[in-house]
Amino acid sequence: MARYILKRIGLALITLVLLSMIVFAVSTILPGNVGRSVLGPFATQESVDALNEQLGANRSVFVQYQDWASGLVQGDLGTSLTKNVPAWDLLGPALSNSFKLAIVAFLICVPLSILGGIIAGLRYGKATDKSITIAGLSFSAMPEFVTGIFLILVFAVWLGWLPVTAQWEQGAGVATQFKYLLLPAFTLTLVLFGYIARITRASMIEALDSDYARTAHLKGLPASVVVRRHVLRNALLPTIAVVAVQIGYLVGGLVVVEVLFNYQGIGSLIYEAARQKDLPLLTAGVLVVGIVYLTVTLVADLLYAVLNPRIRFGSTE
Amino acid sequence: MLDRETTRRIEQYRRNEAGPIENNLIDELVAGEMDRTEFLRRGAMFGLSAGMLGTLLAYVGEAGAAPLAQTSRGAVKAGGTIKVGLAAPAGPVEPYLLNDGGALAFAGIPGEYLTFTNPQGVCVPWLATSWKPNKDATVWTFQLRKGVKFHNGQTMTSKDVVASMKQYVGNKSSNAGLSPYFDAAGVSAAGPYTVVFKLKSAIGVFPYLLSQTTYQAIIQPASFAAKPGEWVKGGMIGTGPFKLKDYQEKRSAQLVRNDAYWGGKPPLDGVNVTFFAINSALVLALRAGQVDLAMQLSPQEAQPFKGNSKFTYYALPTAAHRQFCMRSDEGVLKDPRVRRAIALTINRPQQLAKIMLGAGQVGNDNPFWRGFQSTDRSIKQRTQDVTLAKELLKAAGAENLKFTLTTWNFLDHADHAASIQAYARDAGITVNLEIMDGSKYYDSEPAGADYASTTPWLNRTATLTEYGARGVPNVYLTRCYMSTGDWNASHYKNTEFDSLAKTYLGAPELAAQRKATKRMAGLLLRDTPVVTDYFISYVTASSSKVKNYVPEGISHVRLAKVSLA
Repeated sequence: MARYILKRIGLALITLVLLSMIVFAVSTILPGNVGRSVLGPFATQESVDALNEQLGANRSVFVQYQDWASGLVQGDLGTSLTKNVPAWDLLGPALSNSFKLAIVAFLICVPLSILGGIIAGLRYGKATDKSITIAGLSFSAMPEFVTGIFLILVFAVWLGWLPVTAQWEQGAGVATQFKYLLLPAFTLTLVLFGYIARITRASMIEALDSDYARTAHLKGLPASVVVRRHVLRNALLPTIAVVAVQIGYLVGGLVVVEVLFNYQGIGSLIYEAARQKDLPLLTAGVLVVGIVYLTVTLVADLLYAVLNPRIRFGSTE
Repeated sequence: MLDRETTRRIEQYRRNEAGPIENNLIDELVAGEMDRTEFLRRGAMFGLSAGMLGTLLAYVGEAGAAPLAQTSRGAVKAGGTIKVGLAAPAGPVEPYLLNDGGALAFAGIPGEYLTFTNPQGVCVPWLATSWKPNKDATVWTFQLRKGVKFHNGQTMTSKDVVASMKQYVGNKSSNAGLSPYFDAAGVSAAGPYTVVFKLKSAIGVFPYLLSQTTYQAIIQPASFAAKPGEWVKGGMIGTGPFKLKDYQEKRSAQLVRNDAYWGGKPPLDGVNVTFFAINSALVLALRAGQVDLAMQLSPQEAQPFKGNSKFTYYALPTAAHRQFCMRSDEGVLKDPRVRRAIALTINRPQQLAKIMLGAGQVGNDNPFWRGFQSTDRSIKQRTQDVTLAKELLKAAGAENLKFTLTTWNFLDHADHAASIQAYARDAGITVNLEIMDGSKYYDSEPAGADYASTTPWLNRTATLTEYGARGVPNVYLTRCYMSTGDWNASHYKNTEFDSLAKTYLGAPELAAQRKATKRMAGLLLRDTPVVTDYFISYVTASSSKVKNYVPEGISHVRLAKVSLA
């Protein structure tokens, strides 16, 4: 197992290095430049050139990458060109915010989705199954922007139960922060519910139709015991992999939800860095999200192996 | 009947204090060449005191001068913290780099300017109490307000003003639009409260250019001005009614009342600013009561607040506009008859009603907004005439005219471009639309190429570009219309126009300015390098509990007199 983990960490490091190179390389074909982005369209070219020189943004991408990478080796993620502050000063709070939202969304979304999938699988072909499947698909097909605004209008504007934005006052407690995160978390739940529930439902149907489930029934075990001990344990394995991928998305890919709820997460920070061609901030942000993705995937794989004896035994053979 | 004392005072003023410009101004008033409002505007701009303005109006039989500074209306309730929603600053909030609405609106709460262009278009004293030009308006001497304290307790003097101005014009990467008018050597102190500007050429309306419409020109303490980039880190020290307590980049800011404010103690205890990445979130927050006051909204976004008793809707006419520029030097739009024909296809009142929901004023294909005092109101308004447009196209041999209009995905641009396309179709003109991303529209093409000769917004056959509000048309003229202008997207070159523009720029007398703008407007109607079909009102909304708020056309949020019911 230790060897497996070390191998995965090694591969992850290579992936991260390649990721940072790709970000720098791709940035060369993006339009715009930092100086123009900061000073605006109507600044004189002389001012833009002077600012680019001052920021070092007029150097070749290769030199900028070299500079950034040598800093990284010494633990420095670089300095944001547009904000003139260390990238981590911006990424740290944003990452913390993203984790908070991801945790709240995870706590609401995953149990609900799995429960929905289990009920749909157990009631396969019946009205309950069809309702859950159609509702889940409909919500998944709707853009987050639409579901988010709908939820804001209902729960914040009309009913006045929840705040519109996910921005709490400075020094707010955990309960207040949780309240502010409910609406974006519900929006994400609607987006992810259909997908996770569908995977769970499909696995449930497959497991319920399996020989071991039939044998358990024939042995005379009560249905609840069959489902709990035999069906769920097998049916939830694919769900774990799917949920792991969603955690990465919840932490680093929430540009629309963050913007709509005025929440300063890492997704919108990276998007803005890309728009402004702020390469050190962009690359550091992508790297941080990459680390989150790779870590979550590794943890999910290990969990999968722990829960699935076939994989464990297969790896030792 | 005037008493002898008043007459003596005026005569003494004309003899001892007034220069040729002030005496011309008085002559124009006496001759009936300008009304009371215009006289107040001009008088304030040339530094006449409110007392003298009132005396002069009485001299010609008018009522006394109205107070020039902003006054509060209604009962003022002290206390409370207002929640203001601003667009998240896209760039740094350093004065010399200010560029976007969110950043300038935020910087303008703790920061202030030498003068202020008020919503009526009057340039009034602010950190400077008076100013005086020399006889040809090439040297301007400003007297500073005494007793003004920065937020750090330091007293503002000419040293701070000179250092601030030197930063804006001396810094190579500065975004301030002041460097065309004077350089670092051109600003100096002539006493602890006197600053002298020696201009590169005559500017009759120079005080306007030091007001908040040049939003970078915030007066900072000399110690900060000497170190560009340190203003935010140092706590945004200015002279404004509220001082910074806490600032979370892109997230929020807290400001508290400046009890030592020179304009009197502000009624509010403080200001909580929330930054929004998109306006739809801001609108929803206002509707739900999470913010009390929003900065600029589109007319569509502000529509739900109009006529709603829980909210106050504001629409302030401004000089902000879009320029539909047509290449006058080459290509299918080179013939002025073709450009005139295109302009004639547009039904301006209908276009304004549909796109801006009426929040604006019809334009006449020139930058002379009717709110500018220098605008000659007798210029005939261009109206839709499709028959004449077809005749002009036929005469120019361009009956099957096709061209591409390039713009970017911003505000009303796409709808505006589509309306031009639809109106042109009535005259048989095919307009293809090219809607770009902003970073492409305003970048060189390809990236890294020479900017001026390749960027789409200055080089495409036809472009549609946004211009913010100004107190005077100087920037539009010098940069967009004159041959030497670096934003001259139509590539318009007309020596007669250039000469008239120079006359306007250097003329302190209103009559001379109007004469020049009338002739320039005539040339622009004839040549039509740019279609300016509408001017845009500054639209926003607040909760009805916000009292005494007066919007400002550049997006500054002025809260010195605001209170909460």
